[in-house]
Amino acid sequence: MTVKASSRVIAIAVLALLLVPSFMSAQTKELVLKWPCIWVGKDSKAPAITEIVDAFNAANAGKIKVEIEPQPDYNAYEQKVRTSIAAGQAPGSIFTVKLNATTKEFYNSNLLMDFSADLVGVWKASFDSNAVAQSTINKKLKTLPFETGVLPIWYNTDMLKKAGVTSIPTTPNEFWAAMDKLKASGVYPMSQMSGDTNAWTSMIWFSHFAVSFGGADVWSKPFTDKAFVESAKLMKRIFETYTTPDAVGAGAGVSGGHFLAGRTALFSNGPWYAGRADLRATPFFNTIVIALPPSMGPNKGISVSRLQANIAAGETTDKALRTAIIAFLQYLTSTDNIRKLAASSGAMFAVNSGYIPLDPLQKQFYDLVASSKTTANDLEVALGAEATLEFAQQLGALALSKVTPEEFCALVEKRIDR
Amino acid sequence: MMKKRGNPNGWKIALFLAPVLLLFGAFFLYPIIFTAWTSLMKWRGIGTMSFNWFQNYAKLLSDETFRLSIRNNVIWALALGFIQVPLAALAALILARGPRGWRLLRTLYYLPNVISTVALAMVWVAMYNAQYGAINGILKAFGLQGRNWLGDPSTALAAIAGQSVLYIGYFMIVILAGAMNIPLELYEAAKIDGANVLQEEMRITLPMLRGTLVTSVTLAMAYGMRHFEATFLMTGGGPAYASSTMGIALFLKMDALRYGEASAAGMILILLGTLVIVLIRRLLGRDDPMSGTTG
Repeated sequence: MTVKASSRVIAIAVLALLLVPSFMSAQTKELVLKWPCIWVGKDSKAPAITEIVDAFNAANAGKIKVEIEPQPDYNAYEQKVRTSIAAGQAPGSIFTVKLNATTKEFYNSNLLMDFSADLVGVWKASFDSNAVAQSTINKKLKTLPFETGVLPIWYNTDMLKKAGVTSIPTTPNEFWAAMDKLKASGVYPMSQMSGDTNAWTSMIWFSHFAVSFGGADVWSKPFTDKAFVESAKLMKRIFETYTTPDAVGAGAGVSGGHFLAGRTALFSNGPWYAGRADLRATPFFNTIVIALPPSMGPNKGISVSRLQANIAAGETTDKALRTAIIAFLQYLTSTDNIRKLAASSGAMFAVNSGYIPLDPLQKQFYDLVASSKTTANDLEVALGAEATLEFAQQLGALALSKVTPEEFCALVEKRIDR
Repeated sequence: MMKKRGNPNGWKIALFLAPVLLLFGAFFLYPIIFTAWTSLMKWRGIGTMSFNWFQNYAKLLSDETFRLSIRNNVIWALALGFIQVPLAALAALILARGPRGWRLLRTLYYLPNVISTVALAMVWVAMYNAQYGAINGILKAFGLQGRNWLGDPSTALAAIAGQSVLYIGYFMIVILAGAMNIPLELYEAAKIDGANVLQEEMRITLPMLRGTLVTSVTLAMAYGMRHFEATFLMTGGGPAYASSTMGIALFLKMDALRYGEASAAGMILILLGTLVIVLIRRLLGRDDPMSGTTG
């Protein structure tokens, strides 16, 4: 062989050596599903989610890998989702969306995968049909209902008893009498807040008042309706008399912190809060009672609930990637995994897993849902981000008597996108 | 007719400038042009845009809360430019005299500038807390009434601005560097003529630092016009938009998927910020005795 010929052979051999691994890796390329996930850190679902993802990755090693990108700040995560979609990019292969009047706009994007053709048969049957219907907009199912939540009032009955309140109030008179007794005993009766973008705790209270005055479909009425004005008057009374001095401007951390520290006797939040380690460590944990607030208006027994988190996926033309995403979502929403999530976190889900909670606090949520004849959305879900922000901003002004209840309602009405 | 001779190194100059011009175009010009374009559109961030002329601007400027945001930004600009910078200058002039421990003081004054804005904001939220905050605790110790500093529309803005103006480190270092470069002979000559410390500062140091001070005021006011972080972290612009700024209004418009209005808010911010800077440069001038240039 001449030198020129042997050089050619060597060159071809080197090229082959360089190309073969690439070819081999292309054949066996692991599909990576990026999941910017809020269920990390202190979130009650974090341990179970980690376990589920690890198990899926182990079972699909070398083929599919789900990578969680921690997003511990819920508000920042929602900004990320909105900004990514506006910039023409899905936030991840898999991500969650709080479906409300504003975020339903995401369904107009081509970035979200439509699950209409995938959610069929046994998989579809495992989902709550109402939740699927709520998540279907213009015949498109671009998010899967995942976490749901009823939003009741949490009563620290230990504090109630010490103040001489022996039972959960069921009428407005009983309620105000209980609040007065709590106040007289030297504690702040309720956690409230006007901070963050949705004044979460107070928004829930307001929602309960509004549906009791105006019915489950109150949100279709103008915000200047009497139902909302009366609700605003109640919120003003509560802020002025029955809550902590730092409630105006307070965020969810402050509001929840007061309840966890035993400084307030009443709180409001969803079932996902039940799995928090810091809640379970409180000395009054076993005395917590979950109930609807007394109906302040003519409409009774309406529970306020919401789809707390829907799961979305980035649209893709890659069939293998799409199959991988569907495979993971089917795994995530399997009845076994939903039971695992429900048991460890206290959260509730749109999947009918047959889970019966043993934990007394979790059981209270399930009993409440079972006994609720009528449900209604809360303000944020019904009216969207802009109106909710205005609600939060003006709630402080209402509490400080800078605006009247009528003015408060008129200001919020201006921001509602009808 | 003689041919014009070009710069033979023109292509080299263009080649060296190309990367920075590309970056400038990509990260400055394009976003500005895109923002200006979308400010004329009705756009929810998803789907198609529809031409809206100046309706977004009209809507914003007729919105009381946005006008309040503009006012707050002007307050921020004035607070940073005419409180923070003078405080920084005062600290710099004292440190330039080389008192005992001046190096340690210089470091201490600058320390907050190396700490994350988020961390500082969280510390101040705790300090301002109506029930358990240190500030109300100190007031109570002196028999004074505490208040909900961040939850009261009449105090929220002042509370946030009040803590921000204390972070004088950055401008202090800049002014101090300028002060330490003033020739000592000037001070020696002044001493011989019988000038005291105050006269030295007023007749020598401040005139020599004029350019640095004007630049510092301009920068501080520019920061004020685009202020966002501390307010967003501490109050979110509340309560009742009392502490809101244009940056926060822009951010909240994006939150509501009103990208056309958000872009309009951005353009108003740019235009007003430019106007403030141009005005302040005209008012204060750019005379710089040290460089021998005038403006």
